[in-house]
Amino acid sequence: MRITPANAAFLMLGPIAFFVLFFLGPFGLLIAESFLRPGGGATLANYTSVLSDAYYWRALFNTLLISLWVTVACLLLGYPLAYFIVFHVRWPWGRRLIYVLLMTPLFTSNIVRAFGWIVILGRRGIVNSSLLAVGLIDTPLDILYGKLSIIIGLAYILLPIMVLSICSVLQTVDRSLIEAARDLGARPSRAFLAVTFPLSLPGVTAGSIIVFALSVSAYVIPSILSGGRVMVTSILIFQQYVATFRPDIGATLSIVLLAVTLLLIGTYLFLFERRLRMVG
Amino acid sequence: MRRSLADRFGRLLIAGLSAVAMLYLALPLLVVIAISFTATEYLKFPPQGLTLRWYWQVVSDPTFVEAFGVSGQLAAAATATALLLGVPAALVFARQQFPLRRTLSALFLSPLVLPTIVLGVAILQYASALGFARSFLALFVGHVVLVTPYVIRTSLASLSGMEPAHEEAAQDLGATPLQTFFLITLPQIKPGVIAGALFAFINSWINVEVSIFNSTAQLVTIPVKLFNYIQFNIDPTLAAVSAATIYLAVLVVVAIDLAVGIEKAAVNATGKTRP
Repeated sequence: MRITPANAAFLMLGPIAFFVLFFLGPFGLLIAESFLRPGGGATLANYTSVLSDAYYWRALFNTLLISLWVTVACLLLGYPLAYFIVFHVRWPWGRRLIYVLLMTPLFTSNIVRAFGWIVILGRRGIVNSSLLAVGLIDTPLDILYGKLSIIIGLAYILLPIMVLSICSVLQTVDRSLIEAARDLGARPSRAFLAVTFPLSLPGVTAGSIIVFALSVSAYVIPSILSGGRVMVTSILIFQQYVATFRPDIGATLSIVLLAVTLLLIGTYLFLFERRLRMVG
Repeated sequence: MRRSLADRFGRLLIAGLSAVAMLYLALPLLVVIAISFTATEYLKFPPQGLTLRWYWQVVSDPTFVEAFGVSGQLAAAATATALLLGVPAALVFARQQFPLRRTLSALFLSPLVLPTIVLGVAILQYASALGFARSFLALFVGHVVLVTPYVIRTSLASLSGMEPAHEEAAQDLGATPLQTFFLITLPQIKPGVIAGALFAFINSWINVEVSIFNSTAQLVTIPVKLFNYIQFNIDPTLAAVSAATIYLAVLVVVAIDLAVGIEKAAVNATGKTRP
């Protein structure tokens, strides 16, 4: 459709106004709050007190370490599943069913998904009662409420995103290249390592960065599955508003979390700059 | 012979790992659904007996019913607004080249990747400063920002897959831009718009991070209600509410499948989370 510049400006007016008022405005205020002195005037005091406190660093370190493991777990489970969907599932209803399986968790609240893991991993949960019944252990394992359960829960939530990211690239791999490698005598494993895998790397990198970034900023899963035993940055932010009532520190920590995320997204954009389009 | 054996082993390995991944995806939700029918007073897996009393308990608890109401109204209002903002924006992005185009699209799509908890905090402070903290309005504006990107993204995907010649023909024959949009464009991009609306609705419906900062004891969405509930009680009532939200998720997935096909929608809306 030909849209005159005047009409385009009119159509954009609403979205721009809304996002300036309720997105840029709130984020701007948050940034301002982090630099604000209680009496007025600008200060770096919030940042120096946050950045000089080992407790906050410890939480950030936990956050990054957990996110790293989550990314690794998503890759190890996600790649085979993406490969399976793209290359092995021929039956259309089978593909459909797998996509339903991928999307349904994405459409379920984090809180419900965390609850599922409590039932599975708890002291009287499915894992422990099965292991006890088989006789592999005498006392229930302490899996729930710790780093491991946070990693299991987050990897579960982010696995669909990793799979879809890898799928979208694997689908575009030119199959005649794989056939050519096979015709020239490459074994399946060699054809995979020399042709398919390198061509799928953009999907792997993209998926990993997104999963890592979403994992860094996740709140509900760490909050429920840590049982108060593991501190991560997002929980720390929450506490500043509901427990310790330090919105200035909360704002500062939020900006730190935002900066980490933006750094990751920046890396992503830098890597994919050439192929960057709005969609597709 | 050896080659085909290796090939078979490779296929088996991939199928095996995929089965593990699929079980991992399905298990938590299946477990929640299963225990919501247990006849015991506490959580028991495998569930014993079969009863609907926990569901009955939920619908006869006015606080749960109210929370479902708040969530439904909020998701509906946010989705309607996201459509009004997102579809025009997508139209301009698809049909116009203009300065700041990339900056604007980055702005509108960035809520997809920025920490939602930070959005929640930012809205809380902003709303406090302007005097509408912990109100339906505060929840509403936060949710609109959160879900508009989905509408823009799916509408844009439909618009770029559409034949622009139809629109031009209509305009050449004298249709006004408004007539062209409603008679030519909208019917063709309808599946994408519907998918976007469903994505928007469900993402508002399940959100905790933005809602939790702007909730009060009276004004609480169902995920926030569950979040507060789970701190003190882990019981079959929790399972019944949770299971109900899973049924809705399945319905929405099926609806999206009918509108645009689940595979296409999945890859469009989540596979390429590109700001």
